[in-house]
Parts: sequence; C-alpha cells; structure tokens
Amino acid sequence: MIMIKKTIPTFLLLFILMLPLGVYSQRTANQILNGLYNKSMTTKDYSADAHIRVDLPFIRMLPVDATIYYKQPDKFRMKSKGIAILPRQGFSDFSKSIRDTNSFTAFISGYEILSKTNATIINFIPGSDTSDLILGKLWIDANKNLVLKSQLTTKSNGTILIEYFYISQIIYGLPDSMIFTVDVKKFKMPKGVTADINNTGTKDSAPAKDPKRGKIFIRMRNYKVNKGLADSIFN
Amino acid sequence: MFLKSIYNEFIKIAAKPRSYLGLAAVTLLVGVILFAMKADGLSFISFITASFEQTLSFEGNILNGNLIAFLILQMLIIHIPLLVALVTGDLVSGEGAMGTLRLLLTKPISRTKILFSKFLAGAFYTFLIILWLGFLALVVGRIVFGTGDLMVLNSDGLVIIQEPDTAWRFLSGMCVAYLALLTVATLSITLSCFSENSIGPIVSTMAIIILFTIIGTLDVKIFDHIKPFLFTTHMAAWRNFFEDPLPVKEILKSAGILVIHIIVLLGIAVFKFNKKDILS
Repeated sequence: MIMIKKTIPTFLLLFILMLPLGVYSQRTANQILNGLYNKSMTTKDYSADAHIRVDLPFIRMLPVDATIYYKQPDKFRMKSKGIAILPRQGFSDFSKSIRDTNSFTAFISGYEILSKTNATIINFIPGSDTSDLILGKLWIDANKNLVLKSQLTTKSNGTILIEYFYISQIIYGLPDSMIFTVDVKKFKMPKGVTADINNTGTKDSAPAKDPKRGKIFIRMRNYKVNKGLADSIFN
Repeated sequence: MFLKSIYNEFIKIAAKPRSYLGLAAVTLLVGVILFAMKADGLSFISFITASFEQTLSFEGNILNGNLIAFLILQMLIIHIPLLVALVTGDLVSGEGAMGTLRLLLTKPISRTKILFSKFLAGAFYTFLIILWLGFLALVVGRIVFGTGDLMVLNSDGLVIIQEPDTAWRFLSGMCVAYLALLTVATLSITLSCFSENSIGPIVSTMAIIILFTIIGTLDVKIFDHIKPFLFTTHMAAWRNFFEDPLPVKEILKSAGILVIHIIVLLGIAVFKFNKKDILS
C-alpha cells in the first residue's frame, strides 16, 4: 500500500510532464502539413502592397514598393514601377510543394519556442532523387496552422531561410512581414560583360560581417483576399 | 582676332571629311548596339544576371533606355578616343604637311593664341562627339526601350539606381567622360606639334592609350605606383557616378588628374609650338 502511495505521485508527475509532448504528438507530421495545406486553400487569391528592402552583399539598391498578386493554384505576379527583387522561393510554391504528402517523407524532428509560440519542427525529404529540393524544415504553429519559419535546401539555390510574422491576416495564414535569408556564395559577376577594366578600386571593399548570406525584408500591407483577380493580371 | 582664329580653326575642322567620320562611326556603332539589344537584349541581360537569377527573381523593366545608354557609353567611351585623335591629331601637323603653317604663322596673332584656338576648336569638336553620343544613347535609347530604373553591372555586383536619380548621374558622368576625351585630344595636339605628318600623332596617341591601358589592367606590383597617375586609369571615372554611395573623393581625384594632364600637355604643346622651326 505504501509502495502504491509512493508510485502514484511519481506517475502523476511524469504524466503532467509528458502532457505537452502528448498533445503535440497527437497529430502526425502529415496531418499537420495537411492542416497547413487546407488553410492555404482558403485563400483563393490575394493582392497586397509590398515594401521590399534588400540587404545582399552584391546588390545595392534602395527599398522598392511593389504590388503582389497571387491566384490559386500557382499564379504569382509582382508589379513594380522600378526594378524589384524577390527570392525565387517562398511565395507561391509553398502550398504546391506540401500538396501531395506521398511525394515526400515528413517527420516531426522536435519542438521549439519561436516568439513565445510553441513550434513543431517538421522535416520533409522528397521521395524522388530528381527533385531539386534536398531537405525542407518547417517550424509550424500546429494550433493555428501557421508556418513560423521555413528552411529549404535545394540543389540549385542553396539554403533559403524564411521567417514569417503574422498580424492582420492570421485567419488566412498570410504573413504581414517576411525575412528571407539567402545564400549568396554563388553570386559572381562575369568581368567580361561588366567591362569594368579601369576599375580604380574606388569601391568600399570592407568585408561584410557574414558575406555568404544576405537578407531580403518584405513588409506586406493592404491585403485584399478572395476579392477575385482576373487571369490577365498574371500575363 | 583670337575668337576669329578659333572660328577659322573650327571651319577647318568642319571642312575636313574625316571630321564627319567620327560622328558617322558613333551613329553606326550606336545603331548596331540598339539593334542588337532590341533583337536579343533579354538574353544578354539574363546572361549577366544568371548567377543571381538562380535564387532571386528580378521584376520590372530591366532592359530600358537607361541601361542601354549605360551599356553604349561603357562600350564606346573606350573606342571614341580614336575618333577624337583622328581629327585633333591633325590640327597642327596637318598644317605642316599641307604647307599652310608658315602662312598661318604670318598672321598678327601670337603662336600661343593660334595653338589655343586650335585647342579650343578641337575641344568643341570633342564636345560635339560626346553630345552626339549622349543624344543617341540617352534620347534615342529611351525612345526605343522606354525608361526605368538603371541596373549597373560592376565587377563586384549590381547597383540599382532609381529612375529619377539617373539623369544627373548621366549628365555628370558625361562631363567627366568629356574631360577624359579632352585629355586625349590635348595629347594628340601635343604630339601633333612634334610631327610633320598627320598619321604619326594619331597612331602615337592610340599607341599611348593602348600601352597605358595594358599597364593599368596588368596585375603587376611594379606598376602599382604609376597606375594612379596614368590618365587612362581615370578615363572610366565617369562610371563612379553610378556607384552607391557616390565616391566623391575619387571623382574629384580623377577629374583633378585629368585636368593636370591637360594643363601639362598643353604647356608642352605651347612650348614646342613656339619653338617650332617653320623656315626649314
């Protein structure tokens, strides 16, 4: 009897300690990704004003304002008066890549607290050898079906890390701001075409703190979700 | 008398067919570049930005009149000295070859003033060449390709300059480019004072430009001390106006070195021209 009395609190304590883990473990990685995909499907189309600030070692430019248009399943267009730069990945291709759960293997690799939110870390590896994607890693708020952070490693583009911040369009899972961290080690300007033969060495050649990585900051405003967008916008 | 002498010198330049060769060559070259860019400019741009486009997507009208103007200036500023030297290298030696130098020097005007009038006429011709190049590159380029932000291609990356910010940069860049061409014109006039035929100064000017350019591009330590003082090093200083942030110190330094070259070369030319034996 004494033995039982001693064991019960221990079990109870263990149960309480493992409770959060149990709640997370209730849903598998594929179920979480399905929830994420279903949420993304609630957005048929959207347009938004984007303020883009580029902080890349090899590109110097002032912040640019642009308008971004998206329509399911994968139509994406950015319009700007001047030249704007966006990362190739991270906008329209995301829901497409998690649509078919049979094309990749996903598993929960851990949990992390991101901005006071419990995030489930899901890794996914493509089933095909020919896929450009090598490894995908998502930090997901499983309760709200929101991607808080993603890290995609591809053969062609290296690793791209995206942080998402939600305020106004949390219901649709559309971020108000994003920070893209991209690999820039492959950026090389062909000297022949620049014809910079008489370069007098005037440029500031001070090495950057982290010359292999660059960031693109995008702030989204004036979202217009599911208002209907003509296909002609994307031509 | 001095103004009339300048006018006369310019009339002499205008009367020579070779003077129009420069303008025609610039027109033809710009025409070829505009045609090539219109036909296959996008693939040219994608070749340049290929390493960026793997990760980044560029939106907006990249292939616009401003980029075309920049490419034209970049391609032609190096070659235009030949067209300038073709005319200015003949200003003094041409008179000697034709036998009109003696007659010219009998005028009631000092030799220095005659040389200065030749220099100013040559400077005006150089100005016309660069003005015509600027017109074709900027005005015609914008008509054909429209306008937009300028993507400048440097060996260390890309600088994207917003459209309202381009006009003053082009204007200032053209001024520095003019200063560089004026240095070439002055060099050829100076060499012209040492020669009795036209070919010598023209070929010598080009030879000096080629030699200095090669020294400038050679990555050899022994030349590092002289490179900053070669005028060819500063012939591309106009590009500095398309940097961000603007390297004001470097621009002023380049302009200063080019002006010093002009003054020194002009001094040598005046000295030689005043000492020139026209009796033999």
